[in-house]
Amino acid sequence: MSNRVQCLQEIQEAGFEIDDLTLYLDTHPLDTTALESFNKARERRYELLKNYARDYEPLNLYLVDPANNNETESYSKYLGKEHFTWTDGPLPWDNQGGV
Amino acid sequence: MWTYEKRLQFPVNIRKTCPKTASLIISQFGGPDGEMAASMRYLSQRFTMPCKECAGLLTDIGTEELAHLEMVGAIIYQLTKNMKPEDAKAAGFDAYYIDHTAGVWPTAAAGVPFNACEFQSKGDAITDLYEDMAAEQKARSTYENLIRIIDDPDVLAPLKFLREREIVHFQRFGEAMEKIKSQLDERNFYYFNPEFDKQFVLN
Repeated sequence: MSNRVQCLQEIQEAGFEIDDLTLYLDTHPLDTTALESFNKARERRYELLKNYARDYEPLNLYLVDPANNNETESYSKYLGKEHFTWTDGPLPWDNQGGV
Repeated sequence: MWTYEKRLQFPVNIRKTCPKTASLIISQFGGPDGEMAASMRYLSQRFTMPCKECAGLLTDIGTEELAHLEMVGAIIYQLTKNMKPEDAKAAGFDAYYIDHTAGVWPTAAAGVPFNACEFQSKGDAITDLYEDMAAEQKARSTYENLIRIIDDPDVLAPLKFLREREIVHFQRFGEAMEKIKSQLDERNFYYFNPEFDKQFVLN
């Protein structure tokens, strides 16, 4: 498994924790144990997303920062030019070795 | 409003072309118990849902269903992207191929196109939540039917994930139903529409 795929998998895991806890907290808003887990997952996910945007492409528009995205210069047609890094990276439905 | 995250909720990596499998799974894209119907059902019903927590839950589950729609679309795309016309013919996918080539289009496995009549937004909280709970169970059964007849582990992994989510959503809608009932007269929950006949709702 490539490093990119590994990083993406960690984002999927932290993201899923948030997805599942969100629905639980919607109906149990006072559960402090779940709230604590939510906070941990939220922080972890944000860290992972920021690192992923730095090393590869931004996964959401708010992490687009052309000067600081995609340090590994992968999956981009515009390497060496200032460009909109939202267009970098593979499409989520293209199975390119696990991405 | 929504923002897009450029990733699937759960990975879909299918290596083997199989238009036959795609022709069955497409029901979970645009069929009667599919993800498009699920998402549109919840995102439509939420506007008039009288309980704020329930409206929030409909928004969040409706949003997750969009991610499921994307996963099912990815499954169909990967099963058919290298398909040759003779594969489509041998797999019984030829009628679909004539109309859509390998494009992903919302339809039921039996050929009925996606239609808003596959879900209801009745404007009655209890009616709508019962429909939502039934919808989750129907989708669970459909995923189970698919899992029983599909062998490819690459396809089974995301299908099993999607099946599990139906169970979680059923549980959460059940809790939302309890919440609505707690605002009603326990001697007779069902004699009026709590969304419309607001004078009967306890505060």
